[in-house]
Amino acid sequence: MNRLTATGSPADATVERRLTAAAVVVVAVWMLLLTRLFYLQVVQGDVYRISAERNSVRTQRVDAPRGIITDRNGKVLVGSRPSFDVLVVPHETEDVPTTLSRIAGLAGRDLETVRTSYGDPRGRSRFQPQRVAHDLDRDALARVESRLWALGGVLTQVTPVRGYRYGDSASHLLGWLGEVGADQLARKEFQSYRRGDIIGVGGIEKLLDTDLRGRPGGRNLLVDAHGRELQLLSSVEPEPGRNVVLTIDHRLQEAAEAALDRDHKSGAVVALDPRTGEILALVSHPDFDPNEFAVGVDPERWRELTTDPFRPLMNRALQGQYPPGSTYKVVTAIGGLEEKLITAHTEVNCAGSFRLGRRTYRCWRPGGHGIVDLHTAIVQSCDVFFYKLGVDLGVDRLAYYARELGLGTRTGIDLSGEMTGLVPTEEWKRHRDGTPWVEGDTVSLSIGQGMNLWTPLQLATAYAAIVNGGTRYRPHVLKRIEEPDGRIVRSVDTEVLGELPFSAQTLAAVRSGLVGVVQEPHGTGSVMKNLPGGVLAGGKTGTAQVVALPQGARANLEDVEHEDRDHAWFVTFAPADEPRIVVSVLVEHGGHGGSAAAPIARDVVTRFLENEADLYAGNRP
Amino acid sequence: MPGIDRRLIQNFEWPIFVMGLGVALIGIVNLISASPERGAFLPDTAWRQVVWMALGLALLLATLLLDYRTLERIAIPFYGGVILLLVAVLFIGRIVNGSQRWIDLGPFNLQPSELAKLALIILFARLLARRSATSSIGLLDLIFPALLVAIPAALVVKQPDLGTALVLCVVSASFLAVTRVRVGSLVLIVAGAVAAVTVAWLFFLHDYQKERVFTFMNPERDPLGAAYHAIQSQIAVGSGGLFGKGFLHGSQSQLDFLPEEQTDFVFSVLGEEWGFVGTATVLLLYLGILIRGLMIAHSSKDLFGAYLAVGIVSLFFWAGAINVGMVIGVLPVVGVPLPMLSYGGSALLTCMIALGLLMNVSMRRYIF
Repeated sequence: MNRLTATGSPADATVERRLTAAAVVVVAVWMLLLTRLFYLQVVQGDVYRISAERNSVRTQRVDAPRGIITDRNGKVLVGSRPSFDVLVVPHETEDVPTTLSRIAGLAGRDLETVRTSYGDPRGRSRFQPQRVAHDLDRDALARVESRLWALGGVLTQVTPVRGYRYGDSASHLLGWLGEVGADQLARKEFQSYRRGDIIGVGGIEKLLDTDLRGRPGGRNLLVDAHGRELQLLSSVEPEPGRNVVLTIDHRLQEAAEAALDRDHKSGAVVALDPRTGEILALVSHPDFDPNEFAVGVDPERWRELTTDPFRPLMNRALQGQYPPGSTYKVVTAIGGLEEKLITAHTEVNCAGSFRLGRRTYRCWRPGGHGIVDLHTAIVQSCDVFFYKLGVDLGVDRLAYYARELGLGTRTGIDLSGEMTGLVPTEEWKRHRDGTPWVEGDTVSLSIGQGMNLWTPLQLATAYAAIVNGGTRYRPHVLKRIEEPDGRIVRSVDTEVLGELPFSAQTLAAVRSGLVGVVQEPHGTGSVMKNLPGGVLAGGKTGTAQVVALPQGARANLEDVEHEDRDHAWFVTFAPADEPRIVVSVLVEHGGHGGSAAAPIARDVVTRFLENEADLYAGNRP
Repeated sequence: MPGIDRRLIQNFEWPIFVMGLGVALIGIVNLISASPERGAFLPDTAWRQVVWMALGLALLLATLLLDYRTLERIAIPFYGGVILLLVAVLFIGRIVNGSQRWIDLGPFNLQPSELAKLALIILFARLLARRSATSSIGLLDLIFPALLVAIPAALVVKQPDLGTALVLCVVSASFLAVTRVRVGSLVLIVAGAVAAVTVAWLFFLHDYQKERVFTFMNPERDPLGAAYHAIQSQIAVGSGGLFGKGFLHGSQSQLDFLPEEQTDFVFSVLGEEWGFVGTATVLLLYLGILIRGLMIAHSSKDLFGAYLAVGIVSLFFWAGAINVGMVIGVLPVVGVPLPMLSYGGSALLTCMIALGLLMNVSMRRYIF
């Protein structure tokens, strides 16, 4: 028998006392709660009943200003711009249908679109202004403004929208905005997004969305039963998004775009600093204007962009894969020197063709180049020299050297959607076609035709490593991310991916050939001669076959169907001894590299050298 | 042993059973009002809660067959198992609204932090019951028990679920009130804690940090601040008046003005639709359970049973007082659900098992 109360020890008496005390506390707290409930529900009940009927508090979201994107010199590429909107307050509008049609007329908008924006007024407050036309141009705004006195219940309002300052410039790189998708909302990484939120869809806007978007704030408003705002109860300020600084130099970007735009060419330009991997310009044509998406894209226009056979949404600089043409010859040259199959002085007689078994492979120059060594072979882009060397090396050794240069894999640029390109091997062909590799394939391969595929970005990074002394850097477009007050959140450092395992002599021999391409007589890249300030450049042309045409059929470009014309490549670096810029240019179906692509590269390099000269002269950009 | 069975039936603990069942049934009816789907005869959440309640009832009756003193023996393995589950939930737990609290068991989800409440109560009852009857507890004796609370509490904070962690701490601390802790130590602990919090709050925390503390306590909080929830909840409760607006006629709840209306703010739905009559009824039923629980503790035939009852009473007391206090605007908004009324299977099961244990202690008070 050990009932608590019966033991009689002083300790149990304590527990008993405390249980009683606990009961008192419990009853007291409950009385407090009941009193408060009585006060709320019975004494103040009527007051709260009225608040509830008035529907009381409305929450309004205040969007955070999105971070701005600037180029390396602080020039604003993406910021916000004012959008002039027209709104209608139903309560103050006598005849809504007539008002809407007058607005449509004044603003130059389709009446149906205006009606759709106005939507169904049922279930909506009659005091809530409804936007009926978005982003009016100045003339339309002036027309509406001048008639406002006659339009009861119509008002205009300025709201900030994302503004891409240079329209379609760098559109692939910058990306665009759209509404967050239902499929995204279901995923964990998007859990901070809500329906209707704006999200970056492509390029930097997508990649750095979490930095750029900031945090929305909000306002609690006291409103009456009609939705009329009576009083601001509390508000939380939005946190503006972070600003992004790119490595891009807008002046180079512009020069490249202007040059590529001259004949409405489709193609790509990549300019980078071979000492750091910083991308100075990244162009893809055809392009689009992201401003069109900023105010909600028209479905018709979207369909047009996605079904356009020239695929304007594709970023050709990192997603376009093309046979490299003669720009490939550096791979064959490096392989030959490294494997000691040739020296810088080995000579080959080019009689205009190369026989392998029963087949004959022609040099691009019908009469042949005569006796050539490696230097001359690069300068004049002699095919026969490289046919022979390529066959001696074999496909798998060629593949090894291509891979060491970073071809056939992603460069690791800080943009999404990059393609790998293709470096074929015996194994690969057997796997894909089920047919064995034949030496004829190697012949085509050794001059960059056939199955090789490179992106313009890969070409630029591979050449950068060859000419900078053998270091491979990770290319990047992001320089730093800053808080709105300028504090640096993240700064991107130069990242070394590796060193080329080739001897200095090999790289020097190849580089000397590349300088000869531009500077020497009969060189294929003479367009790059005579740069400002007497700077010497080097480079390589490339002409990639799209379809096989009979010899001589290419003589006149105009005779060939556009989609059958060759792709034109040019890659260049300057100054020749210690390069500060590498530019690769691809013009789709442009024909010859030397005539179609090289002038574009020249414009970019010229602008680069002029900028530098300006800088030395003390003129800030 | 039929003899024991007969005596158990004779001593069946009707008051707790009836009051507990009453609250649970009111909870189901109220969840119908609080469910987002309108117009359905029995909305999905309410239906699921019915299934949980049936399961809980079965478990409640099953616990009655077992002598509660067996729990004293399994206290330590039970505690260890719960800790393992709490660790597991951090790795394999399901994430809902940014918190990782549930283990997916196919047809239903288990919330181990609810089991942690029971485990701590049983463990503390055992610890205290085994202490020598005369020695009183000094400050140093509290270090080990404090650790026993800190481990599950820290794991629950990590989920993050600060409300449940808070309940674990206050329920454990409540044991101090009924043990022979020296009055001096008790005063020292309370004074020290209050002083530390006050000094930190007044001098060391900036406004934005205080704001963060609130945000941390309730991560799903509206970005506009706790004020919004509090205002809407008070309007809902207050507008209910004396008799309420009637079942399914609450404009605040039916028009989605209320936040978390099925869980943390379920009491506002009750207040709006059933008025003061409804809220007072529920509060009085709770009060009945609490007082009856203390009486059971008082008449328990051993110390373990007494402490078990005290722990369960303090669980209902704290969760009830904090939740109702928050809903009617006398306490800050912390995410603590209301026992038996808020939606949540694991919580309902825990409550019903806890009531079963109370009944168990009561029904065995005359045996020997």
